[in-house]
Amino acid sequence: MSSRVCQTCGGTDIDVDQARGSAVCTGCGSVLEDNIIVSEVQFVEGSGGVSSAVGQFVSADGPVKAPLLGSGFHTSVGKESRAQTLQNGKRQIQQLGSQLQLNQHCLDTAFNFFKMVVNKHLTRGRKTEHVIAACLYLVCRTEGTPHMLLDLSDLLQVNVYILGKTFLLLARELCINAPAIDPCLYIPRFAHMLEFGVKTHEVSMTALRLVQRMKRDWMHTGRRPSGLCGAALLVAARMHKFRRTVKDVISVVKVCQNTLRKRLTEFEDTPTSQLTIDEFMRVDLEQECDPPSFIAAQHKAKMQQLEQELAKKLDEVEGEISCYKDEIENELEKSRPKLRGIYAAYAKQIDPDDVEVLSTATEPEELVVEDAELQAATQHLTQDFLCQVIQEEEGQDKKTDDNEHELVPEKEDTGPQRQVPPLAIILGKLPRSASLDLQQTFQAFNKSGTEWSAILELDLDGIDDQEIDKYILNEKEVQVKTELWMKENAEYLKEQRGQDCYHPHYHTRQHKKREQIEASTASEAIEKMLEKKRISNKINYDVLRDLNRGGVGSGGGGSPSRASSDPPHPNTSTRKRLSRSRRKDPQRKAHEVNQDLVENSVTMTTQTTQAAADPPTVPEPETSPAPTRPPPNVEEDEEEDEEMEEECVSALQLVGDYGCEMEEEDIF
Amino acid sequence: MDSSNDEALDIIVTNVVATFRTRCHLNLRTIALEGTNVIYKPEVGKVLMKLRKPMITASIWSSGKIICTGATSEDEAKLGARRLARCLQKLGFKVRFSAFKVVNVLAVCSMPFAVHLIDFTKNNRPIASYEPELHPAATYRIKNLKATIQVFSTGSLTVTGPNVQNVATAVEQVYPLLFECQKPLHK
Repeated sequence: MSSRVCQTCGGTDIDVDQARGSAVCTGCGSVLEDNIIVSEVQFVEGSGGVSSAVGQFVSADGPVKAPLLGSGFHTSVGKESRAQTLQNGKRQIQQLGSQLQLNQHCLDTAFNFFKMVVNKHLTRGRKTEHVIAACLYLVCRTEGTPHMLLDLSDLLQVNVYILGKTFLLLARELCINAPAIDPCLYIPRFAHMLEFGVKTHEVSMTALRLVQRMKRDWMHTGRRPSGLCGAALLVAARMHKFRRTVKDVISVVKVCQNTLRKRLTEFEDTPTSQLTIDEFMRVDLEQECDPPSFIAAQHKAKMQQLEQELAKKLDEVEGEISCYKDEIENELEKSRPKLRGIYAAYAKQIDPDDVEVLSTATEPEELVVEDAELQAATQHLTQDFLCQVIQEEEGQDKKTDDNEHELVPEKEDTGPQRQVPPLAIILGKLPRSASLDLQQTFQAFNKSGTEWSAILELDLDGIDDQEIDKYILNEKEVQVKTELWMKENAEYLKEQRGQDCYHPHYHTRQHKKREQIEASTASEAIEKMLEKKRISNKINYDVLRDLNRGGVGSGGGGSPSRASSDPPHPNTSTRKRLSRSRRKDPQRKAHEVNQDLVENSVTMTTQTTQAAADPPTVPEPETSPAPTRPPPNVEEDEEEDEEMEEECVSALQLVGDYGCEMEEEDIF
Repeated sequence: MDSSNDEALDIIVTNVVATFRTRCHLNLRTIALEGTNVIYKPEVGKVLMKLRKPMITASIWSSGKIICTGATSEDEAKLGARRLARCLQKLGFKVRFSAFKVVNVLAVCSMPFAVHLIDFTKNNRPIASYEPELHPAATYRIKNLKATIQVFSTGSLTVTGPNVQNVATAVEQVYPLLFECQKPLHK
């Protein structure tokens, strides 16, 4: 509709007709524009008389989409992978976001985050689901919506911690500082879900106050905000005379019963819990508490201290008691009849144990040790000695005393002393054998030490070899263990064997392939390979063998000699060429190799068309190349080759030189 | 400047992880059958061997790589590793002790005050992160030392790093930051 100036007459009055799409100058009548493009909505009549607008909706943002023309699919192939990823991401965000009831603004922000993530290549190696969930959660945190990571994991059926990891990583990479979670945010949401009806608002307010109090009492650091909310809501509900059980609350809040109970007990410990409901609503206590875990740790420390003190006191008391007991027993023994005759003999036998008990009873502290074996052994060695000494010193009278001593320590209530007698009696039988074993290991080590040191590169300082020997079982034990292990793991071993069954085939095949061809020169190698590998009857093996000769000749003469020798020997030229090409000569140039390979392929294909062979022609070309070859080595090789070739040619008469000869012309 | 208080902070090393190689192939079945205190895990392909003194657990692979965990100091880890190598030698393998390296050190430390985690995280935004939904502690990562410190609200820390020296340095670095956000105790 732009009013322009007519070119011919200069008139400004121009009539634009939308229907015809033309602009005409009213002065002179000249047509200024024809087929004007109109930006109006057009309607088309569809089937059934329904008229619909022509055109498509294009999104403002999002991927740059190639407009689908008539041939739809062909144009979409050119779409970038990046565009596709973003489109896919957007779709998933919309899907998840709608399930979470997020508004469009949040979804757009989430999509922006996703775009940033894709630009930084952080989506690589991560499931798109996780990335999208993390983006959405980022938005939730920055906007302050009451959505928990748990909700997202519920929807996706993914472990919370995995989502959390992704979320943390994205937050760090995108340098987005998500504000800390405030449990107050969740209260309205949970209150609504708990269905308090009209009083929802009041209950929420009470719960909020409670949560704030908990914060000040240091109950909220390090805890899941949902747990705190749950506890607060439960208390608030009870305060407003709603009967909400623990089960109701935990189903909404998604924490465990134990967690909720713990929070309640912690809250109970705070002074605020002592206030009445009214007081609580009005008054706010100044005092702040320590975190509950801190209190628990202090409590533990106190308990330990108390226990130590008690133990000390007990020791003292023991001492006193034992003194009293000794005195009492002395008195009793004096009054008892003494055993004579037969019984005296019995009394003797019990002596060593009794005496040990006696000696151990007087020294309770030393025996409370962890490293039982060695120390017990040494103890018993010393105790034996002591027994002997004490026996000599004591007279017969004391034996009866020992009987009673044996009884008394067992009756005592204190811990260490009670442990001592049974330990002593049990271990009394052991020490002799143990000491012998130690000696044996000593001897064994001394013998083997010299051998090992030769192989060793290991510094033996501080390594106690006796101990190490204990870690190794002897043969009998090994047998027993082997049997046990085999029985236990029979299934696993079967599986292993089952797998092995499949392997031998591969191995045999590989072995077949890998049989080494031993040959002194490359020519021999090729011959031997050819012998073994009769893969196809479409290959002219004679020519292949000829390659050797050609290859050796080219080493000395270089490429020009080859080229020159080609024309004079038309019959065998192809053979030579082929032989040269087969000869993997480092001096060969790439293009020559390619040429020869082309020849090879051509010869192979065309040989099948040839019917008759020409055996008599074979010996002639074989002898003719011989004198032309300057280096003597080649002649020898050629002779060998000739011999080989003759045999092969006779076998391969049908696939003979004819094919090669005919191809020369075809190739060039 | 000495950043610690009058009372020195006790940094207790609780775990040292070290690896070394024996430079020879090990037959796991032999070790499993002839050693005491061994657990054979054929599905995974390793043998767990536990030594009493020093108290370490070693994971032994058939390639000859061994990981030693559970030692309480770097020297102990080395001693344990050598003992283990000696034990394997006695079982009949031509073991050589090579490429011993302490890979990870875990230490715990306790501050005499409680820490306000939210303030601490706010002050040290990108380096520190706190997600109460996931873990009760705030994580503080020091890049140049490659150390990670987890701060709990009670004031106890767990520090992990490549060696004991780094761990000590990390604690010293983080102490003033924690001091700022401390929560004075009333009881």
